Amino acid sequence: MAKAERVDGRLMKVGKSARGALYGAISLGVVAGLLIIVQAWLLARIVNAVAFHGQPLATQWGLLAVLLGLFVLRAGLSWASEIVAFRASASIKTDLRRELLQHLFARGPVPLAGEHSGDLATTLIDGVEALEPYFSRYLPQMALVSLIPLAILVVVFPVDWISGLILLICGPLIPFFMVLVGYAAEAINQRQWRQLLLMSSHFLDVLQGLTTLKIFGRAKDEIAIVAHLSDEYRKTTMAGLRVAFLTSAVLEFFASLGIALVAVSLGVRLLQVHATIDFYAAFFVLLLAPEYFSPLRGLATHYHARMSAIAAAKRIFEILDAPLPPGPLAPLQVLPAVREGVSLRLEDLHYRYDPEGPEALAGFSAAFPAGSYTALVGSSGAGKSTVANAILGFVQPEKGKIWVDGMDLHSIDPRFWYEQIAWIPQNPRLFAGSIADNLRLARPQASLEELREAAQAANALAFIEALPHAWDTQLGDLGSGISGGQVQRLALARAFLRDPRLLILDEATANLDMESEALFLDSLERLRQGRTVIVIAHRLATANRAEQVIVLDAGRVIEQGMPAQLLSQGGAYARLVHTYRGQYHA
Amino acid sequence: MPEEHRRLLQLFRPFRWWMLAGAFLSLLTILANFGLMTLSGWFLASAAFAGLGGWATLNQYNFFLPAVGVRAFALTRVLARWSERVVTHEATFRLLAQLRTWFYTRIEPLAPAGLQEYRSSELLSRLVSDIDTLNNFYLRVFTPFLVAGVATLIMAGFFALYAWSLGLALLVLLALTGLLLPLWSQHLGASSSAELTRVQARMRNQLIDALQGMGEIITANAAERTQAQLLAENAALLTQQRRLAGIAGMGSAGMGFMANFTLWVILLLAIPLVGRRTITPAELPMFALGTMAAFEAVLALPLAFQFLGQTREAARRIFAVADNPIPFPEAREAITAPSHFDITLENVHLRYPHASQDALQGLSLHIGQGERVAILGATGAGKSSIANLLLRFYDYQQGSVRLGGQELKAYPGDQLRQYVALLSQRSYLFHSSIRDNLLLAKGDAEEEELWAALRQAQLEDFVRSLPQGLDNVVGEGGVRLSGGQARRVAIARAILKNSPVLILDEPSEGLDALTEARFLEDLRVLMEKRTVIYITHRLLGLEQMDRIYVLAQGRVQESGTYADLIQKPDSLLHRFAELGGTLLHS
Repeated sequence: MAKAERVDGRLMKVGKSARGALYGAISLGVVAGLLIIVQAWLLARIVNAVAFHGQPLATQWGLLAVLLGLFVLRAGLSWASEIVAFRASASIKTDLRRELLQHLFARGPVPLAGEHSGDLATTLIDGVEALEPYFSRYLPQMALVSLIPLAILVVVFPVDWISGLILLICGPLIPFFMVLVGYAAEAINQRQWRQLLLMSSHFLDVLQGLTTLKIFGRAKDEIAIVAHLSDEYRKTTMAGLRVAFLTSAVLEFFASLGIALVAVSLGVRLLQVHATIDFYAAFFVLLLAPEYFSPLRGLATHYHARMSAIAAAKRIFEILDAPLPPGPLAPLQVLPAVREGVSLRLEDLHYRYDPEGPEALAGFSAAFPAGSYTALVGSSGAGKSTVANAILGFVQPEKGKIWVDGMDLHSIDPRFWYEQIAWIPQNPRLFAGSIADNLRLARPQASLEELREAAQAANALAFIEALPHAWDTQLGDLGSGISGGQVQRLALARAFLRDPRLLILDEATANLDMESEALFLDSLERLRQGRTVIVIAHRLATANRAEQVIVLDAGRVIEQGMPAQLLSQGGAYARLVHTYRGQYHA
Repeated sequence: MPEEHRRLLQLFRPFRWWMLAGAFLSLLTILANFGLMTLSGWFLASAAFAGLGGWATLNQYNFFLPAVGVRAFALTRVLARWSERVVTHEATFRLLAQLRTWFYTRIEPLAPAGLQEYRSSELLSRLVSDIDTLNNFYLRVFTPFLVAGVATLIMAGFFALYAWSLGLALLVLLALTGLLLPLWSQHLGASSSAELTRVQARMRNQLIDALQGMGEIITANAAERTQAQLLAENAALLTQQRRLAGIAGMGSAGMGFMANFTLWVILLLAIPLVGRRTITPAELPMFALGTMAAFEAVLALPLAFQFLGQTREAARRIFAVADNPIPFPEAREAITAPSHFDITLENVHLRYPHASQDALQGLSLHIGQGERVAILGATGAGKSSIANLLLRFYDYQQGSVRLGGQELKAYPGDQLRQYVALLSQRSYLFHSSIRDNLLLAKGDAEEEELWAALRQAQLEDFVRSLPQGLDNVVGEGGVRLSGGQARRVAIARAILKNSPVLILDEPSEGLDALTEARFLEDLRVLMEKRTVIYITHRLLGLEQMDRIYVLAQGRVQESGTYADLIQKPDSLLHRFAELGGTLLHS
């Protein structure tokens, strides 16, 4: 519980910016609630006058009109309260989403790789959404729970202290018992729902693997398993829920019995010749009794809203609390404008992803002269991608320096640095939008003519224009009909549009079919002219064409030179090539 | 009632007593409260009259009965509330289990041919969450409507016993509040809700794009642009939500107002009745309190209307899938096991559902038992159709396919699949223990057999190093397997299955070069003493095959050994080798 309350405190801080609107919503709700007392008083007067004083309808029109006006006023107030509460939560949601986005972008893509992007998206959309009931319902309701019953007590006590006492005893018992039974039960409840989700994901798993089940002749058996699991789940869940539902029973017990006691005790006292109370007062009290318990009834529902808000908030704060990488050194510099390739020198780089883990870069040093074509090779985990990440600024080396045209990379304005680079990752991302939009990511102002030129150079023009909607073909949807090889070529077209001084290409591990591979290599050859190129070679075809091969192992350079020369030396590179092809030519 | 809901109810028929019991208890809960309030009101007033009437009336007054009645109603309410929740939840879980098993039995015969369009996990998970949505049908749609209807009739009937005008007023106003108000607010919010769903989906897609493509966005200097776009979507989201919050606020304020207004109307009608002695003065407070309690019956209806639409949509999608016709009839009777496993295809034509042309266009080939044959071809040449054919996942329209001399159509699918094992990049691993994943292939395998299979698949050391060994769970929440390891589990599975025919459908697709080389090496164990059909679009490993069939346009273009074909300068294989030459002959 202590932990949940800490989250409460932090949520309140988040809500600070919308405090005015929140108080507004609460005040409107409280006023609407307090008017109930006036309403009960009017009602009691009318009923008393008619029933006990034989007054006809005509004498009551005035009070009835006021009553109707009161009803309209209360409806208006509660509507206004909802709207104001929404306004408060809307500004909180926007602030949180902005902050989350800024934070995620500031952390960059490397830490993201360890996260499930679907889960992050859910947090940013549904998680933030789950906070709304917290601000628009739970907080106002808490104010109502403490203020309205109190106000009713203040009114009831002078009228009839016995009823007041009954209410006073029954009321606090509800939250008390709900804490006693409810919190434990609530925990059970939550666990059960989580298990229900697990059940659904098991079912999803079965559906996804249906073809595999069929291959093993197990598809028909699975039905019994699904039925059995559902049944088992029902039994254990119901055992838990039977306890959890005691919460609502407790609430009902005190609320209904409270009303019954008030009614019976009033009745008993009215049944006396010299009654200490009259019907007018008794009816007024009885009308207020359900209203006294009504905010408490809402407590359970809103308590649920709080629980899910806290679960969501925990995840949100977890994201916001992830440390940011250190920013670049000020003042930032720009590179002199030159057209040729970047000259790059990496000096004794050290880096580890996990502070406890092994070094991904353990003193990596290498030079990439302007206009050179270098392939990084090595088994997976050798540090190839980390070198690229360091150059791209996605990771900050703990030690060592990266020199760009003789300047420390850390002192260069990142925006300016990125203008010089094109990066093609292993699985280039196509975004939801048209093909033209996708290429324009690289250069937003590019004309169609420029897009066509880039596509032509990337060997992509023919297939783009053969598509039924050509440049307007929507991507990102399922079944957009673009093959892996075509994705690669679109990524190359983007790189052509960037017109970079440095190209970093993380070769695809997925096998392209032979024709695609040939087209890709052909346009890469065109792109590399006049630029510095670094290829992370997973297959060795590209390495063989490079001017320089750097072989990495455990974050260090173990071999370096021209590919043909390395092959004849029979060292690490030759061994790699041999492992790769060996068996097929044995 | 919509057709979808009628079908749902039909499906739920076996549990109708559970459903009705839950609804009855829910009705009892509402009526108990109604009873408590009406009786209290009457009791108070009549007691007051008795008190005023002096000793004579007092002695006649039966105090005992109403006092007990009040307490009995209160207790009934407590017990009914608790058991209502227990019974309705029990029923819900039973219905959910029923729904899952029913759905599974319906779609199991469809896989995979009839489920082609649901291949993506996104669509499958929507189906699963649709089933979870249907979960709400009983609890949030069926019960509230039934109970509201019956309770309204009973309560209005009770009023009508005293004066028909009061009964009619209650009936009409409850119906207006319960039916028209929610329908009206739903109508107002319909366009906004639809737009909200669209905006939310769009935002989610953009967000996932941004998270997964963050590196590309940052290096394209588009980080700020992307964040601004996302916040614009957030603003669009809030615009719709603001409208909906306004409507929802109006709905709940309207509900409160209608309850009060009804009270007002009842007073207006009842006051003259007191004067005319149609009702006694003591009955006036009874009607007032009864009207206030009556509105509990329609409180759940706005939510029920929301779920009405949702469950209808979900049911529509579920039934649409379940109603798919079985793609082709299968033989039912098992036939005697063939004495050999020669495979012969003669002039086979296969066309996929909804396809415009045949995937196989007169394919003929022969694979003798124990032979190792490669099927080579570019994407779309019809390679994988051979696997689909031999696993009887799709039917062929023309020609003849024989296994062991028996026409394929004569085998029941499950029998046929005993003889054929498939290893592909899509081999599915269940989110369950390694043991469960292996036992799939041979349910009665001994522990030692499992280890032996893992040993042959070169995975033994890895599994022994896991904290729970064979019982370690695979996938999310468990141990993450690398691409190579996951495929080795699939190899172990195929070893355990021990079937005479083995189909390798691009088994190393998506692995990096070194892993692939080792993986293909380890496949050799599996290939021993089996008929092997190796489907590939690349030239790796072809030298070891007894024969190669090169496919194009769904037909065999050439066949022969690797050595034969590669030497013919005009062969397709030769051309492929030249195209991909950089791959092989570096």
